[in-house]
Amino acid sequence: MFSDYAAFIVLLPVIAFVLTLFLGKKLYSGGALLPIAAIAGSFIISFGIFLEIYPKDGIVQQSWPWFAGMNIGILIDPLAVVMLMMVSFVSLLIHIYAVGYMAHDPAKPRYFAETSLFTAAMLSVVLSDNILQFFISWELVGLCSFLLIGFWYHKPSAAAAAKKAFLVTRVGDVLFLAGIVLLYVNMSEIIAGRGFTVPAGNFILQFKTMFAAIPLINPTQLTYITLLFFGGAIGKSGQFPLHGWLPDAMEGPTTVSALIHAATMVTAGVYLVARTFPMFAATPSTISAGVPDSLLIVAYVGGFTALFAATMGLVMNDIKRVLAYSTVSQLGYMMLALGTAGAVVGAQAVGISMFHLISHAFFKALLFLCAGSVIHAVGTNDIREMGGLFSKMKITGTTMLIAALALAGIGIPFINIGTAGFFSKDMIIEKAFEYGQLKGDFIPYAFAIIAALLTSIYIFRLWFMTFTGTPRSERHSHESPGVMTRPLMILALFALFFGFAHLGFYDYLNKNFELLTGEKAAPESGGVQMSPIVVLLPVLVGVLGFLISYAIYHKKMLDMSKLVSSQNPLYKLLLNRYYEPKIGADIIGVKLTHDVVAQSGEFVDRKIIDRLVIDNIISNTLFKLGEFIRKLQTGVVQNYASITLLGLGLLILLLRIKFGGT
Amino acid sequence: MAALISLMIAIPLIGAIITFLTRTREQARLVALLASGISLVISLIIFSRFDSSISTIQFGESYPWIASLGVSLKFGVDGIGMPLVLLSNIVIPLTVIFAWGETKEANRFYGLILLELVGVLGVFTSLDFFVFYIFWEIVLIPMYFLISIWGGPRKDYAAIKFFIYTHVASLVMLLAIFSLYFNAWTISGTPSFDMFYLLKNYSVIQSPLLKDAIFLALLFGFIVKMPAVPFHTWLPDAHVEAPTAGSVILAALLLKMGGYGLFRVILPLLPYSGSPAKLITLMAIIGVLSILYGTFLALAQRDLKKMVAYSSISHMGYVTLGAAALIPLSVSGAMYQQFSHGLITCVLFMSCGVIQHSAGTRIIGDLGGIAKHMPKLTFLMLAGFLASLGLPGMSGFIAEFLVLVNSYFTLPTFVILALFGIVFTAGYHLWAMQRAVFGTYNEKLGHIHDGANYEMASMGILILLIIFFGLNPNPVLNMMTTNAQQLLKFVALRGVIT
Repeated sequence: MFSDYAAFIVLLPVIAFVLTLFLGKKLYSGGALLPIAAIAGSFIISFGIFLEIYPKDGIVQQSWPWFAGMNIGILIDPLAVVMLMMVSFVSLLIHIYAVGYMAHDPAKPRYFAETSLFTAAMLSVVLSDNILQFFISWELVGLCSFLLIGFWYHKPSAAAAAKKAFLVTRVGDVLFLAGIVLLYVNMSEIIAGRGFTVPAGNFILQFKTMFAAIPLINPTQLTYITLLFFGGAIGKSGQFPLHGWLPDAMEGPTTVSALIHAATMVTAGVYLVARTFPMFAATPSTISAGVPDSLLIVAYVGGFTALFAATMGLVMNDIKRVLAYSTVSQLGYMMLALGTAGAVVGAQAVGISMFHLISHAFFKALLFLCAGSVIHAVGTNDIREMGGLFSKMKITGTTMLIAALALAGIGIPFINIGTAGFFSKDMIIEKAFEYGQLKGDFIPYAFAIIAALLTSIYIFRLWFMTFTGTPRSERHSHESPGVMTRPLMILALFALFFGFAHLGFYDYLNKNFELLTGEKAAPESGGVQMSPIVVLLPVLVGVLGFLISYAIYHKKMLDMSKLVSSQNPLYKLLLNRYYEPKIGADIIGVKLTHDVVAQSGEFVDRKIIDRLVIDNIISNTLFKLGEFIRKLQTGVVQNYASITLLGLGLLILLLRIKFGGT
Repeated sequence: MAALISLMIAIPLIGAIITFLTRTREQARLVALLASGISLVISLIIFSRFDSSISTIQFGESYPWIASLGVSLKFGVDGIGMPLVLLSNIVIPLTVIFAWGETKEANRFYGLILLELVGVLGVFTSLDFFVFYIFWEIVLIPMYFLISIWGGPRKDYAAIKFFIYTHVASLVMLLAIFSLYFNAWTISGTPSFDMFYLLKNYSVIQSPLLKDAIFLALLFGFIVKMPAVPFHTWLPDAHVEAPTAGSVILAALLLKMGGYGLFRVILPLLPYSGSPAKLITLMAIIGVLSILYGTFLALAQRDLKKMVAYSSISHMGYVTLGAAALIPLSVSGAMYQQFSHGLITCVLFMSCGVIQHSAGTRIIGDLGGIAKHMPKLTFLMLAGFLASLGLPGMSGFIAEFLVLVNSYFTLPTFVILALFGIVFTAGYHLWAMQRAVFGTYNEKLGHIHDGANYEMASMGILILLIIFFGLNPNPVLNMMTTNAQQLLKFVALRGVIT
């Protein structure tokens, strides 16, 4: 029954967007209730569909022809339905929280309209049944992020950050588009040349059709296609080297950051790789010839990003920036999971990665909303100016601690009790170890385990500096209102207990591609016996990180002022974010593209093509000719109309004379 | 219901004459709106009765004119002309609405706008080469006056440059038309300027060199109009000096004449030319060069309007590229790009006009933060800029997607090059918005006001159309595809492409 209304998952927030945009000013609270009701509707439909399809292992498919042999459609399989529920649920909580957080902003209607569209676009990404609609929705997600990051457009830094987010992800988008071009051409060729037929009622760019065609696509082409797709994912999910936009995206309201980081944007990249996983898994590995398979590249980029971003998280002083680097790093884990677990247990990697994606969505949304609550209270983003807030903000402090524990993956191994992150992240690290055993390559594992230690250090540094010690500035602070704290409590419950769903979750997601293509999934891994130390290590580094931060930032057992100084080159490198903003925006963006390429183009255009060739050489010659004619006739230049008509008349006359006429 | 097309052309012509005779600007603009509105209604009637599944000429009319030379008044539409007829009839009334506040010599101003409509409708419906050429030239005259009377400081230079440049190109084209004419005459013994007849007899020409010369002369006539690099330098100057209404008509309609020529004349000749492979490569180079060159030049501009002018060059490059690829969907994508760019570029030039009028400058660096005082304009301008940078959900994306995907079959290297332009296209659009519209308000601008209601209404309708055709391209795309398939049947027959 709910399945019949699947399209409304996207349509409801779209309708809310239009209504809020044009009528919001006249409605209560800037029209916030419309998007809230719409997204609640999306969640109810998603959840209803889940209840319908879960017991019978069903999927929902609906499709309508669009243009040029392509279609618009809905595909809700296990992968999509868990994502739909997460996106609509987390987005709903963030919207409710925003009623309090944005209460005093005069541009509320615009805010709620844009976040509603943002959610709609993401939901549309998730339930697309074809790669074109996926791409279109993906671009709309990018548009909304541009609008929302630049929400306070009168701030030059916000306008710049919005542009950076759009352009950097656009680099990825172009790669993604190139992948689609290549895929389309390959699909057409195998249809024309190798007897592949698109079944009746199906379309060329549908995921189902694509997966069925995989064995017929030239393997090298398949590698190119998947790597181009991954290029898109790198942009959207802030992976190295296109990670720089995400920390800058903090210029938007904190609730927007929560949306971007948890529900509506950055997870799209991971989801793209998960969605097209059968293609990634089918890419051939010819390391001997210097060409690795696509999954290996996914693993390395993800693993490196996890570590790379965590190092910068250590030194940031803006509370939201720490969390931003944390997101980049955690997305790296998700990519790492797809890459390494993909090599170990095949398509089950999708479940492992998605479980971390969803548990991360809960605790990262929580972290951002807590940060928002803190910023709302103290009026600054700088953790050096905070401190001792716990006594005044008990709910925020407690829920943020829970989120931090989840991020650090704290739990008790062997008896399997722990936070959401304990289950989701440890699974990834264990699979990275198995990958090392299988391939003799422990580098991804090393990335993962070192990043886990750094994660724990930076998040507890953040928590201790914010909530404990003595207040470091004279700021009036208070706990946030109930409309803000209640979403925190709900998210905290999920951050604490969602992990216990892991076995059921993995089982359900493992069926995904089987349901879609009818092919049996890879056999269960034989349950490799892990040495206890491997199982224990991720938690141990988590606890170690906590202790380090406790010692340094709470007990002040170590004087950090020596380390934290502009004299320390390593500190400087991290604080300047490896000079990525300088290299990206200043050197590549302004100097190279604008100052060198575009300006020399302008020179060629104006001075050479126009001035020299057209004006000087051609025009002057014509002008001299004109001078000659002018002597014969006056007022020629003024009246082009008559000269044209005269010319035509003359031509007709000439023709008549030459050919004798009638 | 015969003679619908000649009625559609006659009404703006009569309207123009009446407008010239009106005394007050209120009368002038009302007549102009009525005349172009009736023309729009007629075109909608034609459009609604148009059969998208057949590629032959529909609503054909023919009247004898100069029988001794074989000139006759033949009109008709097919999937190539119909969308552009519709576009012309959408753009002109909206331009009149946008320019509702014009005070300077209003009767002549609105009359010239109507004459532009007469000219472009004639070009898009004439099936007699001689009449086609007359309309092709007629279009130049009102534009010359629009620039030279209502233009900016360097209006004389720009108007003359525009006129001479495109006129020279037209004359070169005329030579080629005469060659085709005499060629057919020699063969059949009876003179005729019938377009399809002349094109059909091109294949009979013996000398490959002469064939290529004719082909290149025609191509030159069309790509100067589009304009394509390196024959584009008249465009930025003309745009910078032209009044907003002139720029809108120039970019939305006059440039489309060049692209129309590619589909109507160039593609049917291409397979029979002396060296088709080389000519295809030439067109592909011109297309990609225009895309990339236009993009980087747009990035370099300080004047918002000049930036938009270069963006037109870049977007029209997709038309050349898609045409050169000779795949049914790449060609219909190129046709769709013409239609889509016609809508989008209006919004861009109108934005420049509103800003110039309100802030007194269009120099990006002298603006800043105008969103604060111009929220309505900001909304519409941003929508237009997003459409222009190819945002999905808007018409430009459909066109560029079709061109890029389908051109890859035959011109993969060129497509990869064109893809590079996409990031920079987004770059110059957003960078300009960031500096001119967002950020802190530049207090030096004093008190500025938002656009007038009629300006905003005109832009708003265009945005709605851009979104409509971005979500539902079929009403015009289907007829384009039908004709593109028919065109390429001959290409395939000649084995030009594999």
